[in-house]
Amino acid sequence: MIFKQFRYEPVNQASYLIGCARAKECFIVDPIDDLGVDFYIMEAADLNQTIVGVLETHLHADYVSCARELAEANDCPHYVYKSAPAKYEFTPLEDGQVLQVGEVKVKAIHTPGHTPEHTCYLVIDGARTDEPWAVLTGDSLFVGDVGRPDLLVGDQALDVMGEEERAQTQYRSIKEKLFTLPDHVEVFPNHYGGSACGGVNMSGKASSTIYFEKKFNLALAQPDAEAFGKFVKETAKPLPDNYGRIKSYNLGLIEKEEIAEAGV
Amino acid sequence: MTPEEVLKAQQEGAAVLDLRTPKRFATEHLEGAINLQFNRADLVDRAEMVLPEDLKLVVHGEPEAIGKMAAKLLEEGGFTVLGHLEGGLKGWKEAGYNTVTLPTVDVDTLHESLGEWAVVDARDRFEFRYGRVPGSTILSWTEAWEGASDFQDPGKPVAVICGDEVRSSLVASILARLGHKPSLVMGGMVDWIDRDYEQEKG
Repeated sequence: MIFKQFRYEPVNQASYLIGCARAKECFIVDPIDDLGVDFYIMEAADLNQTIVGVLETHLHADYVSCARELAEANDCPHYVYKSAPAKYEFTPLEDGQVLQVGEVKVKAIHTPGHTPEHTCYLVIDGARTDEPWAVLTGDSLFVGDVGRPDLLVGDQALDVMGEEERAQTQYRSIKEKLFTLPDHVEVFPNHYGGSACGGVNMSGKASSTIYFEKKFNLALAQPDAEAFGKFVKETAKPLPDNYGRIKSYNLGLIEKEEIAEAGV
Repeated sequence: MTPEEVLKAQQEGAAVLDLRTPKRFATEHLEGAINLQFNRADLVDRAEMVLPEDLKLVVHGEPEAIGKMAAKLLEEGGFTVLGHLEGGLKGWKEAGYNTVTLPTVDVDTLHESLGEWAVVDARDRFEFRYGRVPGSTILSWTEAWEGASDFQDPGKPVAVICGDEVRSSLVASILARLGHKPSLVMGGMVDWIDRDYEQEKG
């Protein structure tokens, strides 16, 4: 297996390349426009990999995605969970669906909370074992913290859950779907450190394990979903800049040129 | 460069350098193209080891960003790059031009019918000495440009092998340019050794 984390420090964002060394094919997960389409193409080529799929854990609100362009440039599918309210065509994923490159499997785990369509990706290197090795947790489970549930765009049709409901759903998703994974599974989040997508307890370390987070994550140490929701609200950071318009672009509601316009 | 300009450059002696993976090259490519898989780290070093410096090049990378990057790197490395193929293979075919394939053979088929093949090993000489397909001969990738012109038709189908497919596809593409009809062994020595097939050493 080839596994590479790309960190974009200005917004503490992490994207990923997951590929099979033998098959020489890979997926890119959560590509960021600030690094850009060509960055991912070159990184993949340098590892002798061909990009055969672009995956997103969710439609982001704090950074501009380049998943659509990257998929188009490589003439490959752009995968998002089926319920994503995007206004463009994508390849819908089901809960539990497995994508494969060579001996490497990526399994979609629907984990609503941060957004309704949020999905984690469990990584299995079949060349070693069928046991999962790592999980890309997007904006659900962070290292030391969790993804905030309050980045709503103010559109009832898109914001199908309120803030409270999202917080409680986030709690259940993590407890029931991530904390039930084997302890050894490594955790790779979409954000770390100072990112505005999580709270004040988020670690600057961009990876962890299920065991470590079960033991030491303060948000998940809360006794129930309600206390969790309260804790997340109290420990939240200021909202990310311009998140409404960034999210609108990632949903396909506005053009790229419109992101920086009035409303910032 | 437009497909028409690329064709004209080819007719005037330029070579198309196909930067895609051997798998995609084997499926379909421009006739006469040389397959040198792209990466930024050592593309120029490998090009210098294989290609004559006075050979004019047109690069074909997909996505096109790879073609542009390769053109820049090769020019910085002293090669003459006339341009990159705009629109890729899709544009080439839309312009009405033909493509060709490089036939492939997997190691199991090769093993079963070994006597029917002339196996050519494209790896470095030390690897060849360490362990090879029985009866194979060497045409190491670094010597392939000159070596290919002396290559005698062995009177049976030629199968080119390396560790995986990168160097074998390069050598096969050079042989094909000179009118030979080689096949590419998919999976290479890695698969051969994986299957525990016999090897010749020394």
